[in-house]
Amino acid sequence: MSLQNKTDDFLVWQFDFALTTFFEIETHLIQPLLPPQLHPIEAVAGVSLINLTAFNFPAGALGSLPEFQELIFSAIVTPDLSRGVPKFAMYVLSIGSSCQEHLDHSFDYYKLPVYERLLHGIIRKDKLAVEYGDSLGKILTMHNCANQVIYKKDEKRYFQAFTSKNNQIYIADVYIQASLYEHQEIGNVGMLYNHPFFKNLGFDEADPVSYLQMIGEPGAIGQQLYYRPEIF
Amino acid sequence: MDSKSREEFKTNYTEYTLDMFSKSTGKDEAEIVQFNKWRRNVINAHKYSFEVLHLEAQKPSVSIRRVTGEKYKLLNFASYNYLGYSYHPDVIAAAKQALDIYGLGATGSPILNGTFDLHTKLEHAIIDFFGQDGYGASIFSSGYGTNLGVVSSYIHKGDYIVLDRSAHASLMDGAILSQGNILFFRHNDPEHLDHVLKRIKDEKPRILVCTEGVYSADGDYSKLKAITEVTKKHDAKILVDEAHSFLLAGAHGRGVAEDEGVLSDVDMIVLTFSKSFGGVGGCLYAKQELVNYVNYYARSRIFSCALDPAVAGGLIKVLELASSSDGYEKRKRIIQNANYLRSKLQGNVNIGTSTSWVIPVIYGDERLTVPLSDYLQKHGLDISLMTFPAVPKNRSRIRAFVTSEHKQEQLDQAADILLLAAKEFGFHL
Repeated sequence: MSLQNKTDDFLVWQFDFALTTFFEIETHLIQPLLPPQLHPIEAVAGVSLINLTAFNFPAGALGSLPEFQELIFSAIVTPDLSRGVPKFAMYVLSIGSSCQEHLDHSFDYYKLPVYERLLHGIIRKDKLAVEYGDSLGKILTMHNCANQVIYKKDEKRYFQAFTSKNNQIYIADVYIQASLYEHQEIGNVGMLYNHPFFKNLGFDEADPVSYLQMIGEPGAIGQQLYYRPEIF
Repeated sequence: MDSKSREEFKTNYTEYTLDMFSKSTGKDEAEIVQFNKWRRNVINAHKYSFEVLHLEAQKPSVSIRRVTGEKYKLLNFASYNYLGYSYHPDVIAAAKQALDIYGLGATGSPILNGTFDLHTKLEHAIIDFFGQDGYGASIFSSGYGTNLGVVSSYIHKGDYIVLDRSAHASLMDGAILSQGNILFFRHNDPEHLDHVLKRIKDEKPRILVCTEGVYSADGDYSKLKAITEVTKKHDAKILVDEAHSFLLAGAHGRGVAEDEGVLSDVDMIVLTFSKSFGGVGGCLYAKQELVNYVNYYARSRIFSCALDPAVAGGLIKVLELASSSDGYEKRKRIIQNANYLRSKLQGNVNIGTSTSWVIPVIYGDERLTVPLSDYLQKHGLDISLMTFPAVPKNRSRIRAFVTSEHKQEQLDQAADILLLAAKEFGFHL
């Protein structure tokens, strides 16, 4: 894989759409999926958060890769503040993609837990909506629920991404610079389907409770600077 | 990316909300280091308007001193002293008299040697204020401790506690301590409460629904009648925290439960003495048998010292005043004052759903919190700000606590400062 934006210790990923939704989930369901050193952040007592993020990467945005879609499923966990204060820290539970080369790279370089079937992602930028699925069925539908979306230009965010591979925990710094909007309005944000992508985490309610959404402005190129993971 | 660029992502103090420092993974004390770094940065930028020292009683106008030494005379819209009783001369005299007789502290647990006849008088005064037969009152030395103790003594492992999503932290902490199953319903939404209760109906456990009279973040009245009806339909019990509504709402000041006509249907009413009473402490008002039990099993009560006698003496006087024409006049005035300030703000800024003496001014972006708080203080306003995650993202707000003691001129000045800030910070409508 050739990566034109590669530097010593991080890669620049350019994206032209991103949609993140935080969903509430009972803590006792998510805790068993985490390594013992990591703990979920609770929105309120007994209620933790999972995060679903969909990206659209245009052709050529990362090396020679064609346009592809990515889906990341993570749990929000206590960060390591000795590295700085992130917006949030996530423990990545599953990453899927419509591009095999991207998946291979995610596994090798980022130590990410890849979901091995190729996904098909439908991005509806005009509706701020996405649909993901694979040969086994639907994974999710997700869409913005805010009445009014006001993007803020050149927003900067710092995140931490924990992963584990072969019983070793890794941590990576992730920086995003993009035109973004964040909100916490209450409304219908779509469906999460019971699917192996979600690590057999059953979603009992058809209408999961959303907590927060972040939207990257469609068509505006944002940058994700993803550092090489370090042993934690 | 060089280290300077990385710092740009990380070090701007306006980017942080306090929850971001609450915990860190790892054995070092990084959350303490980072929090202090943030605090130092704000102080060094001369924007630190928090932890101010108040130099006199919580009157409508107060002198304060910042931690950095600057002194200001401010209009006070930050205090819960809704009826001005904290500095009422009769209340102070009663407190002094109690101090002379009983000394400084109770020096013991209320269940052992810390209860004075004065505490019993206070209990009876509260029961008389409600005017219902068969009820009792259990006095705690803090409002937080009241909810903590009541919830955790009534709810046990396997039981359910169902909280309004905006319920006070003391109710949530009581729920955690109880080890019961915790569920939430959408803020002030009886239909969603019904949905949540249906989910657990078949197990037939003990269920306690917790809500508030007036909500402190939005200043809205609880839909208590509908919430109580849903609760009773599911054979559950209901606790109402009237911290921001007792002595204020209802024809006689008995709270939103009186206002909504459900005083006899509500199972537990929690009062706080640090707001409209102008003192400190809290109380459970409920059927006498339940109160007897809580007295012996609420750990925050039995393992805390009893309420200070001087405070108890002052609180008895407050109840006497609040039952008289003084209380009636003050209730009338606080409603007039709140309506007046709302009328000055409405249409110019977003005041949400407030219908009470708590008036939010929603400025949205949490990153404005530090500079806005500093600006308001420097322009003459002592006022409280609430930000994510205490309120939703992009719904950060200033909260004005109106009192019966504010004069029209002070309400005008406060409105002017708030509208000026709204223009300066871009949240004027």
